[in-house]
Amino acid sequence: MAKILLVEDDNLVRDMLTQVLQRANHHVVCATNGDEATEYLKKEQPDIMVTDIIMPKKSGITLISEVKNRHPNLEIIAISGGGRLDPTGYLDLSESLGASVSFEKPIDNTALLMAIDLLLHGNSEQISKI
Amino acid sequence: MSNSTVNDDGVNEPNLGQILNTPKWVRITWLPYLVVVLGFMVSLSACYILYLDIWANFEFINDLQKPLPWLTLVFGTGISFMMAALIHSLQLTRIQSVHLIKVNEELKSANAEGTRIMESKQKLEYALMQGQKLQAMGTLAGGIAHDFNNILYAIIGYTEMAREDVDKNSQLFQNLGKVLEACHRGQELVSRILTFSRRQHHQLDTLRLKPTIEAVLELLAQTVPASVIINFNMQEDMAIYGNKTLMHQILVNLINNSVDAMDGEGTVHITASRLRAGDPYLNQFPEANAQNYCKIEISDTGHGMDKATIERIFEPFFTTKEVSKGTGLGLSIVHSIIKEHKGEIAVTSQLGKGTTFTILLPEYVQQ
Repeated sequence: MAKILLVEDDNLVRDMLTQVLQRANHHVVCATNGDEATEYLKKEQPDIMVTDIIMPKKSGITLISEVKNRHPNLEIIAISGGGRLDPTGYLDLSESLGASVSFEKPIDNTALLMAIDLLLHGNSEQISKI
Repeated sequence: MSNSTVNDDGVNEPNLGQILNTPKWVRITWLPYLVVVLGFMVSLSACYILYLDIWANFEFINDLQKPLPWLTLVFGTGISFMMAALIHSLQLTRIQSVHLIKVNEELKSANAEGTRIMESKQKLEYALMQGQKLQAMGTLAGGIAHDFNNILYAIIGYTEMAREDVDKNSQLFQNLGKVLEACHRGQELVSRILTFSRRQHHQLDTLRLKPTIEAVLELLAQTVPASVIINFNMQEDMAIYGNKTLMHQILVNLINNSVDAMDGEGTVHITASRLRAGDPYLNQFPEANAQNYCKIEISDTGHGMDKATIERIFEPFFTTKEVSKGTGLGLSIVHSIIKEHKGEIAVTSQLGKGTTFTILLPEYVQQ
């Protein structure tokens, strides 16, 4: 079980992912954009942050770069369906900014849960295989 | 006989041919002077002879007062001047006619040049407009595709959870499985739209064209009916800088289209050759650079297409095939891939005779 901060602006995806993560016995806290996530991180320390990339106000890219400066040990998973640019481009960028792993929507939720488990308990070699 | 004709624009045009058809002597420029000089000399001679007659008749008194010799001189000279003036006016008319003909010819050639420039401008404008339209559609399709990914993700996620909650032997479990199946088809379609809107990264390498085309033909040999003959002709191999999978995709797509157009019988001719920089064929492509291109032509002997179909053929979701047989994305993806490779594609077709797709890809020259 892990404490997961889920940052996602689309309520359908957010609710669905919350349920998926809760079913896997994780504790989920939700934020609808980067600003809300930053506020939460000032008070609490989650184990993993799952963040969308394209969001209003503060984007996932900005959020990841800020969070990695302040909380270098926080594991980050970036997810994106794209939008303004190539999704793979954004996801590559998020990984180079410090996200441990990234997924392109629609995501295989089993793979997402497996990645979370590996980030919590596995080693970097296993994670790179995802 | 009229000296003028009415031209195409309804304007009276002098009958230049008739005016030009004047006797040779009209062209002699010194003729009026000769007429004047000769006329004067003849008149003077006549005048003198009249005096001689008077002298021969011994009429000396007041002979200089007699008017006849003087009148002869004056009239003779006058007539010669009038004749000279007449010849001169004929000559002037001819000079003007020659000038008119020249001006007329210049105008005609300027007009033809103007029409030619206008036509090529219209062609370029049309090509640019088509390109912009496809680009706009690509942007739109890309935007929709990405939002659609979010929606699909929500549907897939909720359906998977619902399936976990129901009896695995129930009809509901089966039906939810069908929802997932439909979602995965949607996912596949989105991925194709993204290919069209050029929002995916592709690795580019040096590719030899001949083996690439041969590999595709080998692949297609399994699926093409035996009654369809595929004829490939390439004299000299060339290289391009491109993505192998995408090249396979466009060739498979175009060749399959040709095969489909022939209803199971006919010949597909594939030829590949070099198109040198500056070749007039390149004029129809506003974005073509001054470089050599590899020209691949895929022609079929199928039912051909009308003008309206050709105009829309590269638009996404435009299809002439039956529902479920085509998504209308094939050729728009081909167009998009070729543009990604900085190439060009053109199509010509004749109803009942067949269609030719021409692909131009920049030839790769090792630095």
